Amino acid sequence: MTLVLSRRGLFLSTAALAALQFLPRSASAQSGGRITVAADSEPAQLNPAIAASNGVFYISSKVIEPLAEASYDEAGLRPLLATGWEGAEDGLSITFKLREGVTWHDGTPFTSADVAFSALQVWKPLQNIGRTLFANLTAVETPDAHTAVFRFSAPTPLQLIAKALPVVSSVLPKHIYDGSEIAENPANRALIGTGPFVWGDYKPGEYYLLKRNPAYWQPDLPLAEELVFRVLPDRAAAAGSLEAGEVQLAAFSSVPLVELDRIGKVPGLTVITKGYEALTYQLVVEINHRNAHLANLKVRQAIAHAIDRQFVLDTIFLGYAAKATGPVPANDPTFYTPDVTTYAFDPEKAKALLDEAGFPADASGKRFALRLLPAPYFNETRQFGDYLRQALAAVGIDATIVANDSAAHQKAVYTDHDFDLAVAPPVFRADPAISTTNLVRSGIPAGVNFSNQGGYVNPELDSLIDTALTTLDPAARVALYHRFQQLVTADLPLINVVDWSFTSVASDKLGNIANNPRWAVSNWADLTLGT
Amino acid sequence: MTPALRRILGRLIGSIPVLLIVVIGVFLLLNSAGGDAVDAYLASIGGGDAGLAAKLRAEHGLDQSIWRRLIFTLGRLAQGDLGWSVALNRPIAAVIAERLPNTLWLMGSATALSFLAGSALGILAGRRPGSAVDRLLSGGSLLLYSIPGFWLGLVLSVIFAVQLRWLPVSGIETIASGKTGMDRALDIAWHLVLPVSTLGMIYLALFLRVMRSGMAEAWSQDYILAARARGLSESRIVLNHAARNALLPLITLLGLQAASMLGGSVVVESVFGVPGFGRLAQEAVAGRDTPLLLGVILVSAVLVILTNLLVDLAYGVIDPRVGRGGT
Amino acid sequence: MAGLLKRPEALAGGAVLLALALIALAAPLLSPGDPLAIAGKPLILPLTDAAHPLGTDRLGRDLLAGLIHGARTSMTVGLLVAVVALSAGMIVGTVAGLAGGWTEAVLMRLVEAFQIVPGFLLALALVSVAGPSLAGVVLAIALGAWTGPARLARSRVLALRESEFVAAARVLGLHPAEIAFRQIMPLALPPVLSLTAIIVAGAILTEAALSFLGLGNPNVVTWGGMIAEGRNQLRSAAWLSIIPGLALVITVVSTYLVGEALTDSLTERRPR
Repeated sequence: MTLVLSRRGLFLSTAALAALQFLPRSASAQSGGRITVAADSEPAQLNPAIAASNGVFYISSKVIEPLAEASYDEAGLRPLLATGWEGAEDGLSITFKLREGVTWHDGTPFTSADVAFSALQVWKPLQNIGRTLFANLTAVETPDAHTAVFRFSAPTPLQLIAKALPVVSSVLPKHIYDGSEIAENPANRALIGTGPFVWGDYKPGEYYLLKRNPAYWQPDLPLAEELVFRVLPDRAAAAGSLEAGEVQLAAFSSVPLVELDRIGKVPGLTVITKGYEALTYQLVVEINHRNAHLANLKVRQAIAHAIDRQFVLDTIFLGYAAKATGPVPANDPTFYTPDVTTYAFDPEKAKALLDEAGFPADASGKRFALRLLPAPYFNETRQFGDYLRQALAAVGIDATIVANDSAAHQKAVYTDHDFDLAVAPPVFRADPAISTTNLVRSGIPAGVNFSNQGGYVNPELDSLIDTALTTLDPAARVALYHRFQQLVTADLPLINVVDWSFTSVASDKLGNIANNPRWAVSNWADLTLGT
Repeated sequence: MTPALRRILGRLIGSIPVLLIVVIGVFLLLNSAGGDAVDAYLASIGGGDAGLAAKLRAEHGLDQSIWRRLIFTLGRLAQGDLGWSVALNRPIAAVIAERLPNTLWLMGSATALSFLAGSALGILAGRRPGSAVDRLLSGGSLLLYSIPGFWLGLVLSVIFAVQLRWLPVSGIETIASGKTGMDRALDIAWHLVLPVSTLGMIYLALFLRVMRSGMAEAWSQDYILAARARGLSESRIVLNHAARNALLPLITLLGLQAASMLGGSVVVESVFGVPGFGRLAQEAVAGRDTPLLLGVILVSAVLVILTNLLVDLAYGVIDPRVGRGGT
Repeated sequence: MAGLLKRPEALAGGAVLLALALIALAAPLLSPGDPLAIAGKPLILPLTDAAHPLGTDRLGRDLLAGLIHGARTSMTVGLLVAVVALSAGMIVGTVAGLAGGWTEAVLMRLVEAFQIVPGFLLALALVSVAGPSLAGVVLAIALGAWTGPARLARSRVLALRESEFVAAARVLGLHPAEIAFRQIMPLALPPVLSLTAIIVAGAILTEAALSFLGLGNPNVVTWGGMIAEGRNQLRSAAWLSIIPGLALVITVVSTYLVGEALTDSLTERRPR
């Protein structure tokens, strides 16, 4: 504890010096004052290099930066700590050029040693996504202070790594973490990064306070003086706090969808759907193929035909979603293809398919019973569970909902396989190889969530996934993933229903919002509060 | 050592077996749940591979058998060490020290409000059972008691915080205001008005009903008839005789209510974003954080035991018929 | 029962409860089919569509059907909890109060153990662990509700044990069991029974609160679940939570009125 305090003390003095140095400039820049935003959860630990998840990024991305951030322009990426990246012909190495003149919040210069340390000591061994993505990373060479060369043991497509950068590449300060138990380092709770905001304070159950970094590497930024993340676990509280002017922003749909219509009409508040394009969530029906009924393709097709996607879109998502055709969302600019098998809403066809499959309806109209486990993480996943139970009843499948909390759901579905159907909200992360192919790939050990735990095995699909993982040519990769979508929709290892993004409700006073496709989890250096 | 003090100490030592039952019960309950702390954590970050899960389980000792963990936990608690919270990644003693004051403020104020106002209104209602005042108060409290607490809280919040903007929507104090001393106390009080009213009103109705029903019953008792026969003034009969006797079940209730209010505060704290004990316990259950839940429950258990001690003492003072044998 | 007839409000409460009980029993006839079925357009306003007199919720489920079937589950939960909690509490409290000594010490330790764990937290943990089945919810709520009756029964028994007429009965040489069940129980019973209303009300409300925290049973309709679902639309479609809320309030009020009248009539009949 004392260590942290003294370090903060040290930092404050350097910050004060830096503030003096920048005084003329920051005085002329438009000051944003204090901006308060709603946060609906408190992550167990905040280190984005260890836990690559949106709940963590929402707060930590303002302090700790990745090598690159997603952007709306052609390239899809905006350089942050890396200024450029290049893959070798053989796909066995990627060279990153790093930004010069960047300092950590304690004044130490940022160098390639930090990137090498983060990649080898944190992303690869500790991070939930990096452990798979960087499995083939063998070494990171640092020929100079601003160059890092990643060496892989197998060909690794630059396209894949580049698309993953915003999610997996949060850089930690080596001099703080080196030689310590990384997961226990006090800096995981009082973050030290290179970002536009420095760690201020955290009162559990109340708020996180971040303060302006006067020595930020981008001149004149950030614009806001302070960022406060107000912890508001109840969703009604977020809407109330916005209306009362206590918070200026509620992101990640923390205002319930049903309230958006009303709150959008409140003077001074706007509903925003932009800024989540690279954070698309997929509403998926997970299927346990160990169940004899569900192992039958005709049954899976029947279920796909029993679901009215338009109803789900209009009624559960109130239009804030898009119908899914397959495992890649239509808003993905690179990999999506509409050329797949589709399943129109057709209960009669569903019944016919179930008859054909050899499961006729009994006197009461029932064919067989299933257990349905909707993921408890979102209102929408639970509501879709309620709907799916009804939709299945309409074609003679008697589904019983098993309601679990997060931990129990995690265990029942992903470890014990104690389910028949489950509703899951996996995230599509810009490249199917990051977290989408896992949903159908066989051979994944038990205990991994948002992965194929339904016992589905399709050697053709497996080999396609493996080939794509080491295919270097971007066009060839895209073609492989088109084929991937076709195979998945034809054989239905799972059923994609809709793809949805979140909404924000923001005060009209906020400026520069929703200006990149991962905006809610980006660094907010240019966020302002007008008057 | 005075007899009262000795009795308090005796009771505290006597409550050790009770605490042991509680600890073991809660430990087994939470550990028989589907999913453990690592499952909860992985669900919260959206996943990780099997190796990560195994690594985390080993780090938190969750790969040990349940009995080894129970013995370890009991040993740790016996040394006065509450342990480390898995869900919050902080020492539990520090977490509790932070949240306890919020809870004490919320519950203390709500108890005071509901007990004082409830018993006063209950006396008023029970003075003449069946009168217009009685009907109004009984009816009103009945209605109040029948409204779900979270709904009452949401409605109060919409009216007074969102529409009228008289009071803050949520939180325990203004964020990073730098206020100290009296200013800070007032700020906290300001934030507590709505949660205390919500929680207090439910229990006010309860106290009112019990007080009134005790009073109504008292009127047919022999000692009231005797007091009447002695020609005592009506107000003296009401306060010294009827109310005094009707207070007994009310005081019993006060002891019970300490624990029940803590449970009731889960919902109120959730509606008003108050970082208190109730919410902490909820987070502990959701995160399968056994040490944290044990810590919360042990501390609240000690609070409840102390409250009940006071209740027993008060009981002895008010009802002379209950002597030492009462414990 | 005579006491019931003397009070108009108790009579009204009784009539409401009777009607509710009939509705609950006849629910499958009054509103055939699954009350959770999507029956029409979402968010139809009440009193605007003859097919859905009370309107529909955001998924298009009929509110009236939910209300009718909800009466069944909510009343079942309330009654079962009361039966379980009162019988457990009465037995433990009376035995402890009369037996004294070790029996009392052990029983009261058990009561204390349950008492110092907030009942709602216990229910929350239990339902999280065991899942929200009807039996699970009843047990979870009853575990937090039986200590009140137990303590009250014991404190009444203790107070009565010392009273003159019990002493007189002892002097007369009555058998202890006779003293217990003929002299003490009738006097100890009314205040404990007066808790019935509180327990039934509390059980229905606790079920609602569990639903509010997302721990309701999604396979059945309960009023609590309906209120909890509707509360997100408190500002835009208030009827979704107000209608089941009113049903809940009316039921609780009626229960209370009847419980009170019963208590009074029991009190009047007691021996002097």
